[in-house]
Amino acid sequence: MYELLVQAAKFVLIGIIYYFLYNFLKVMVVDLALDKQNPGETGFYLEADDGRKYPLFSVNTIGRASDSDIVIDDPFLSSKHALITKRGRGMLIQDLNSTNGTFVNGKRIKKPFRLKERDEVVLGDKKFTFLRRESHGIKNGSHL
Amino acid sequence: MELKMEAIYNKTLSATALIGFIAFLLLSLKTSPFSPVPIYGAIAFAAIMFTGYFLSNSLLYGQDSALFILACFITELGLIMLYRIDPAVFMKQINWFALGVLAFILSSIVVKYWVNLKINPLYFFAITVILLLLPLAFGVEKGGSRSWIQIAEYSFQPSELAKITFVLFLAGKLKDGRIDGVLRLAAEILAVAGLLAMARDLGGAMLFYLTALALVFAATSRWDLTAAGLAASAAASVLGYFLFGHVRVRVEAWLNPWQDVPGRGYQIVQSLFAIAQGGFFGTGLGLGHPEYIPAVATDFIFSAFSEEFGFLGAAALIIVYFLLVYRGIKISLTVKNSFLALAALGIVTLFGLQIFTIIGGVIKLIPMTGVTLPFMSYGGSSMVMSFISLGILNGIRLNERRQEADG
Repeated sequence: MYELLVQAAKFVLIGIIYYFLYNFLKVMVVDLALDKQNPGETGFYLEADDGRKYPLFSVNTIGRASDSDIVIDDPFLSSKHALITKRGRGMLIQDLNSTNGTFVNGKRIKKPFRLKERDEVVLGDKKFTFLRRESHGIKNGSHL
Repeated sequence: MELKMEAIYNKTLSATALIGFIAFLLLSLKTSPFSPVPIYGAIAFAAIMFTGYFLSNSLLYGQDSALFILACFITELGLIMLYRIDPAVFMKQINWFALGVLAFILSSIVVKYWVNLKINPLYFFAITVILLLLPLAFGVEKGGSRSWIQIAEYSFQPSELAKITFVLFLAGKLKDGRIDGVLRLAAEILAVAGLLAMARDLGGAMLFYLTALALVFAATSRWDLTAAGLAASAAASVLGYFLFGHVRVRVEAWLNPWQDVPGRGYQIVQSLFAIAQGGFFGTGLGLGHPEYIPAVATDFIFSAFSEEFGFLGAAALIIVYFLLVYRGIKISLTVKNSFLALAALGIVTLFGLQIFTIIGGVIKLIPMTGVTLPFMSYGGSSMVMSFISLGILNGIRLNERRQEADG
């Protein structure tokens, strides 16, 4: 009886072991896709409250004006509201004298401010989170 | 697609836990009358793994979760085999596993906030030498090599810790991409390898030496030094063969184990029989005969594993080790600080060479040397130090990301 059970179980165990490996194959595919990302992209992005993602390049203007890099149609935003630039290996945000101001983690910024992962950026009444590409899933929690 | 990362990791964690429950349930059914004790083992393992995973993910934002999951997967297969071989050994090993997970998180945090102090590599060298001298002075002999220190009932292998300090020493020496004083560096490396050889830990001496060679090549890209180093190691092997009796025994057992099956060739022959017995799918858990294999809980755990999980299981295990090495090299390539990049590369190289040495040894690809299979063999210092090495790799990645964010 035990032998029969073990004979059946060994195929199940091997199956699960290879399922585990298959999942790591998927991880590697994602890794390779990340390496091939657009050369202009910095690997950072802003995620809005509604889940929309705005990838960041080395210079990004944000505002209501249609020639902004990131166009946000919101009456509380100025037409040229804020600027995010690449500096060194990080990203710098600065306010372009907007009417309603740019807030990082609840504080209105006056000087250019260096963004850290998971910083909360508020423009007008829109809220964004500053993230890196690969840390995507962690903020959203489990998808299981 | 990145959205799926966390989901994939959760699937692998669940698969790992499921393997544990099925395997330990089988082990429960094997004991007659039915005993629930193995199931408790599976529950303890799953509890430690999930606690460690969620704790490390919440404390260390942006860590490389794959390192931890792969290590847990290997540890679990090791724990299943250890329970199968001897439940008492399993009880000790699961405590070491818990301690290892804790050490993984702590070392990640320490390395993450490692301020780049200008520590003279000479200090790391001194620590390495002291660690290797300790067992020569106060050590006890176990399994033919004098590399253990016994304190009360606990024994500890300082050479496991010396691996990390040695890699840090080399990374500090080579971080500028050139060598000031080739002869001095060669003398220092040979001194470390010589100390290990004096403790009759020739496998360890070979690992340290080849790691040093790999790091020198990675840092300086000089073929002449690498070729000279390889030639010197070949000369040292020939010298070792004629100088040390036990090297000759090992090499002869490797060249022709069938000449003296009950004597010198016994270990390797039993190991080969066990692997052959396994076939493609294995004999099934609990139906093999690990009791025939000598040193089955430590050096030959891979043979016992391939007997019961078959060629497919053993191949999967080797792939998992490859994946760990791949993640490590990936970290080392992304790091811009040359000291940390070399340290990461050194740790990965040592890890990969160790796996090659022991698996190659038990399948008679190369002569058998007594090094442990990381995460799988029974042994507290090996388990904890392997987790610390991974923690350092993880910490190097986090350190790099922290500096990216701070400028």
